[in-house]
Amino acid sequence: MTESLHPQVAALLGRYRRELRDTAPSDALDARMARLVAAGREDIPRRRPPLRRAVFWAAAAGLGVVAIAAGIFIGMRLERGTPAARVAQQEAALPADFSLWPADSVALQIPAEYSAQGTLVAVDPNAHSTGKRYWIDVVVSNDGTVRIDRIVPAETKRKKGAPDGITLQTP
Amino acid sequence: MKKNCDDTERMARLAAGDTGALRELYEKHGRALLRFSSAMCRSRQAAEDLVHDTFVALLRGPHLFDPAQGTAFNYLCGVLRHRISRHFRQQKRWVTLVDDDSAAAAHDASPADEIARSEVSAEFRRAMLELPLQHREIIALCDLEELPYHAVAAILQCPIGTVRSRLHRARALLTIRLASLELVDLADEPPLVQLS
Repeated sequence: MTESLHPQVAALLGRYRRELRDTAPSDALDARMARLVAAGREDIPRRRPPLRRAVFWAAAAGLGVVAIAAGIFIGMRLERGTPAARVAQQEAALPADFSLWPADSVALQIPAEYSAQGTLVAVDPNAHSTGKRYWIDVVVSNDGTVRIDRIVPAETKRKKGAPDGITLQTP
Repeated sequence: MKKNCDDTERMARLAAGDTGALRELYEKHGRALLRFSSAMCRSRQAAEDLVHDTFVALLRGPHLFDPAQGTAFNYLCGVLRHRISRHFRQQKRWVTLVDDDSAAAAHDASPADEIARSEVSAEFRRAMLELPLQHREIIALCDLEELPYHAVAAILQCPIGTVRSRLHRARALLTIRLASLELVDLADEPPLVQLS
């Protein structure tokens, strides 16, 4: 393969090679080597061999998996292990009329008249009426919602078979 | 052959706990290893550190040497080569403030080294240090240390054919680099490389 070497490159390589031949270890390196020889193998800080390191990491990973699995298991036990008596006790503590669904409601009829501002305002049913009176049917459910069911003229309401008057569209 | 037997015996003594064998191995091969390391590294300090690390590794695990696989020198060269490779991998993690590699090489070299080297040799060294590690090591082993191909193949743990082709390419790259530095005149010579 020497034929692939340019003569000038070969000359430079030879020159550099000769300079490198003069390279000698420094006193510092000699001293370090002398200390190394004197110290021996026992005094070198030992690295863990690769297998031991692998075992260490495998053990750490295994411990981690075990810890996570134990956490999940304990959580499941706490979740599932609630005694039935405790659930019944909780149910008994609820008020008798407590319901999660608005099953009961109360309907009220409120007399109202138009005010000067053009809004319906509640009036005393026994007071003398000066304007046209309406009955406002209000439904109060036991979940706390209030709904205006309908508004009918007072005289119309009293007639049997008369139309209901204004009926509010509720969603 | 006797030389190899001596080294094998030294390695056996070292494995048995005789650190005197380590000193003998250092006295025998230390200079050659330092030459190889110096040709590979930018700074002399790094080269010496790597040689020291090589002998520390040898002291830690002398039983890892197998005489059937090659000589003690080849084994030490192989250990040093791995250390050098690791050294440059670690260096890549740091950001160089100087972008130009040649400027970095000049900066890393100690003033004493620079004075000692001629200007042409310093330029040649810079060209060498700019080669990829793989090519630099093949030139260091084959052309500077003048080791036979089979020894280089044992150190690099590759076939002899690979050593030849890698050396050819490394020389061609070095020639081109030297020509760009005007240290080599390629006008009267045919081009030596077919760049792919």
